[in-house]
Amino acid sequence: MKENFRQSMKWFHTWVGLIVGWVLFFMFLTGTLGYFYQEITRWMEPERPFIEHNISNERLLDIAQNYLSEHAQGVDEWDIMLPNARDQNLRVGWRKPPAAGAKRGKYQKTVLDISTGDKVDSRATGGGRLLYRMHYRLHYLPTKISYWLVGFCSMLMLLAVITGVVIHKKIFTDFFTFRAKKGLVGWLDIHNVLSVIALPFHFMITYSGLLFFLFTYMVLSSNLQLSDDEYSEMRKEIFPRTSHLESANEPKDMLKISHLYQQAKNTWQADELSYVEVFAANDINAQAQFVRHETDITYNPHDAVMVNAVTGEVIIQAPKEYTVSGMIHNGFFSLHEGQFAGPIARWIYFITGLIGTAMIASGLILWTTKRRPKQMKKLNGPDFGYRLVEQLNIGTIVGLPIAIAMYFYANRLLPIELSNRVNWEANVMFISWAILLLYPAFRPATKAWREQLQLAALVYMALPLVNILTTDKHIINSVLQQDWLLVAFDLSLFIIGACFAFSAYKYKTLTLDKKQLTKAAKARATKTKGVVVDKSLLPLQAMHRENS
Amino acid sequence: MSNLIANLNFSSARWSVFSRVLAATFGGYVLATSSSLFIGKLLLPTLGANQAIHIGLLLSFLVYACAAMWVFSVSSAGKAWLGLIKFNLSLVVLTWLLMLFFEVSV
Repeated sequence: MKENFRQSMKWFHTWVGLIVGWVLFFMFLTGTLGYFYQEITRWMEPERPFIEHNISNERLLDIAQNYLSEHAQGVDEWDIMLPNARDQNLRVGWRKPPAAGAKRGKYQKTVLDISTGDKVDSRATGGGRLLYRMHYRLHYLPTKISYWLVGFCSMLMLLAVITGVVIHKKIFTDFFTFRAKKGLVGWLDIHNVLSVIALPFHFMITYSGLLFFLFTYMVLSSNLQLSDDEYSEMRKEIFPRTSHLESANEPKDMLKISHLYQQAKNTWQADELSYVEVFAANDINAQAQFVRHETDITYNPHDAVMVNAVTGEVIIQAPKEYTVSGMIHNGFFSLHEGQFAGPIARWIYFITGLIGTAMIASGLILWTTKRRPKQMKKLNGPDFGYRLVEQLNIGTIVGLPIAIAMYFYANRLLPIELSNRVNWEANVMFISWAILLLYPAFRPATKAWREQLQLAALVYMALPLVNILTTDKHIINSVLQQDWLLVAFDLSLFIIGACFAFSAYKYKTLTLDKKQLTKAAKARATKTKGVVVDKSLLPLQAMHRENS
Repeated sequence: MSNLIANLNFSSARWSVFSRVLAATFGGYVLATSSSLFIGKLLLPTLGANQAIHIGLLLSFLVYACAAMWVFSVSSAGKAWLGLIKFNLSLVVLTWLLMLFFEVSV
């Protein structure tokens, strides 16, 4: 394509990154927020009570069992999710028997108030789940189309990551050279540092993302090699499940789940329950499975203890058998989702995800920075393509975070009784994004950047205040109740806002600097020689010297 | 009309890029598929059918990526197409030979 392989790949990297850069930015940002989806959901349901400290797992199990025995009779499965670091409320869920013709019954989930033992009526909200699902469901599009679109974008991302490594001559020495200059060199270095610092993560997250839809994307190959039966057989081998008994339709009282829990405690030698699944509740075949927080990236059979809920005996289950390729496949899923991660690892995941997001953003900005000097010299102003990229950059890189804040505002401000409230929360987000994408078309680029950065600072810093005005789960009460999850959430919003404020301030001083410098240089050049020097091509130090 | 046809200069850089995009997208996909068929047969005796096929599929994205990079590195779009066809044909033939070989050995 070009003179040599590296040059060709450089060209390829540029265009592969540009063409879907904004979709990738959206996928990376919403996906990164997914590492805190439970926390986001908790914040978006302010009707839930504050954390209750020092309540034994046994008491929680009793409360849940009382509620479920009364409200979830004759269902296939009960789930009891205990409060944990990510969600400090007691939650229960159950699956209704499938309706005629359906494969699986409807799943219902509710939060229980520990002090009353009754359910909490929360506002209708999509919560963190809807937000993180957007990163592969793209919200408005039909399922099939969004899966293929996401696959296409991920494939280009994979290409961008690989070509990015290839075009880098001195990947490790470059990592230690950061030239904190303005303009092209500065952005190139930022892009390099962000890419190299988390390179294994970028590769892992992209490749594993593709694996989630392996059989969808490689449908031609799998259809050529496997019949439908062989395919489902193969899936069972790759994703083995433990089996449990079906209901025998013979009612029988179960033992107390809190009593059965002793068996799991004995096995683990610890009190670290995460959730309980009860199959065929109050039936002669009733079984309860106690599961603790995952302790292994791949699989630890001792993380789950199955107990006969009628007799109280431990049921020894054959551990799930993984094939080597299945282990690799599941290992990548595990790494992608980070379910095993404790609080510190979760924050590392979150920050690494943000680094990936920023890497994409810096690449997009680099594209315009590189072309700006040439474009600014054009007689009729910059090309349409250049302006479009600049506009999409402003509207996405700063616009999307603002739109996500609007999602949170919608949660607090939309009328509680609004029908279709869940959809409207998301609509508010996408309408805001659309406006912010259009806005830069009517403003000079530097002004649009600055104004949107200022707006982002404002909306994020004001969110905790709006929270104080609209709910009783605000930062003051959270501190008083020592509900640190809610405290951290409000604080994070404020810190994000402060970061945007700092960027807006920095951006302002930088652009002002430049403007004054160019003005001075122009005046000098025309006064002394009458020859116009192209200021934008002068390095900044030279301009400083000229200026002084 | 003749003017229009004259404007369709197939050797221009734009056409070359367009042709390569098609080659990388579709040719690359077919190559990813045929490579997975080949690996599925190659690993069959050591790992069994399911794992062999699975590994072939797992690797197919990497093959796809390499193919796309290769298409954009060679000197002309025609070369890229020709290369893809050659690779694909050889993989299909090799797969077929492996099938024959295993049938005989079983």
